[in-house]
Amino acid sequence: MIMILLSVVFVVMRVLPGNPVLLRFEKNADPALIAAYTHALGLDKPLYMQYLDYLWNLVHGNLGLSMAGAFEPVGPQILSRFPATLELTFYAFIVAVVVGVLMGAFGARKPGVPDDTVKVFGILIYAFPVFFLGMILQLIFGIWLHWLPVGGRLDPGVVPTNLSIGSVQLATGLYTIDSLLSGNLAEFVDAVRHLILPAMALGLVISGVFVRMTRTNMMETMRADFVTAARARGLKERTVVYSYALRNALLPIVTIMGLQFALLLSGAILTETEFNILGVGTYLVDRINFRDYTAVQGTVVFLAILISTVSLIVDILYAYLDPRVRL
Amino acid sequence: MKSSARQAQPVSIMHHVISPLFGKGHGRALVVFGFAIVIFIAVMSISAPYISPHDPTLIGLGPANSAPSYQFPFGTDQYGRDLLSRTIWGGRFIMQVAVAAVAICMAIGVPIGLVSAYTGGNVDRTASLIMDSIYAFPSLVLAIMIISVFGVTIVNEALAIAVVYIPSYFRVIRSQVLAVKEMAYVDAAKSVGAGVPSVLLKYIWPNVASSVVVVATVNFADSILTTAGLDFIGLGLPVTLPDWGIDLTYGRQALPIGAWWTIAFSGLMILLAALGFSLISEGYAERTNPKLR
Repeated sequence: MIMILLSVVFVVMRVLPGNPVLLRFEKNADPALIAAYTHALGLDKPLYMQYLDYLWNLVHGNLGLSMAGAFEPVGPQILSRFPATLELTFYAFIVAVVVGVLMGAFGARKPGVPDDTVKVFGILIYAFPVFFLGMILQLIFGIWLHWLPVGGRLDPGVVPTNLSIGSVQLATGLYTIDSLLSGNLAEFVDAVRHLILPAMALGLVISGVFVRMTRTNMMETMRADFVTAARARGLKERTVVYSYALRNALLPIVTIMGLQFALLLSGAILTETEFNILGVGTYLVDRINFRDYTAVQGTVVFLAILISTVSLIVDILYAYLDPRVRL
Repeated sequence: MKSSARQAQPVSIMHHVISPLFGKGHGRALVVFGFAIVIFIAVMSISAPYISPHDPTLIGLGPANSAPSYQFPFGTDQYGRDLLSRTIWGGRFIMQVAVAAVAICMAIGVPIGLVSAYTGGNVDRTASLIMDSIYAFPSLVLAIMIISVFGVTIVNEALAIAVVYIPSYFRVIRSQVLAVKEMAYVDAAKSVGAGVPSVLLKYIWPNVASSVVVVATVNFADSILTTAGLDFIGLGLPVTLPDWGIDLTYGRQALPIGAWWTIAFSGLMILLAALGFSLISEGYAERTNPKLR
């Protein structure tokens, strides 16, 4: 899976027409300069050599040098941006699962008006452009009510806690975790305040998928024999719904979580841009505007590996939750 | 429900695909409401030159960022352009991109899915592997990557969106064909000497076509959202066009002064367009799939 993704990235970036070198130079640039630059990037080698080089560098964790600015290595730049994205997607995911599963289960349990409301909510929220929802939240809670900040990760002037023992860096870059570990409660509150709006915007939009999935799965599970059996034994309706039916209805949802993660990342790019969060998404957008081709490719490769890792974890999780898979 | 009877014999596309849209029964309200929205937007976009009160690109028509008033019912943007006119015009390009993207990706995804599933073996395995990899990738990132390599133009935007959504068609068509091709009537057709193209087109395709409608309508909604997203990060339509995505992107610059009207109408129109197609899709799925009721 990783290999296929990496190869797709390679094909799109190298094999298809479109020359990164020409994108960088003006139309009437010196041909010798272009040739030298092409050579420096190794783009004049045969294609299969380029492909091997690309894989070789990847194995060594080398994503190449940035083509814009000071030619810094791309890898560390991406890693320094990653905690912001991880933090945003993590909290957004929690919002999505909690809102989605609760609403979906509620809808499946109460047919009629409550169910229709849930259904319409699921469709409506999915059709929302995530950045539009973000703007609405910013306008209401940030600009009109002044309750929450509208952008960034911390208030200006607040320096993130630097956790280290001697020369060993312990800071994760996840401000909500770092600040708790170091006992800096003010920073923790600040980081959470900055996270609420973007995590709500992204999480609510993604929750639409969970609402639908949970609702349809629950409706099917509620008709299953074991649910009838549980009812026949005189268990409370609440116990039947939430510990019997919901647990089984959630299994198929775990399998699609890998795909939800891809959706989450797409949304994170837009959310980060809207809320001015310096994460991987804004890095990607910045680099495109600088036509920094290696950085764009590096980011895409990074995301490809990330997604493959997540889908592997999801598979393992599924095997843990559903004993049948292990047989 | 007579669904078992329907599955057992080849039927016309008309019967299977078009008629569920209009008959009575479950999900009708969703379909009708969705169509109403889509038709409203289509009519508005097509007749924009005749119904729009002002030139949508005229700078300095009114004061900058003025709130909705009798003269400018939707207010004006930061260049003093009339937002009502821009809202009326704003669907023309985003909808064209969506229509082009959906057409391209349907034209590629459906045949590959049909052939791949029917042929089976290594062809199917290779195609599935590639399609699954693309499918697992964040759509926006893939679109960004393609546009960043090919350059920012309207055509490339439509192409990028098309590539991203090909696997959706492939996967749905493939799983349906795998089920249908084992049916007795397909064997019967083969045994009386029907060739591969004829089996695929006459016997299999009509039975899987209704799921294409579901995918295509979802695809429309996603394309509109992705186009708006690309506009938002500066890889979409040219900033000079009157377009909902562009207006939403630049309208947010006036947010700090509390100017809600610079984002409200363009954002609502994108929401409405995506919602219209989602409603059709949801309603149609409910009508053709009894499990969802």
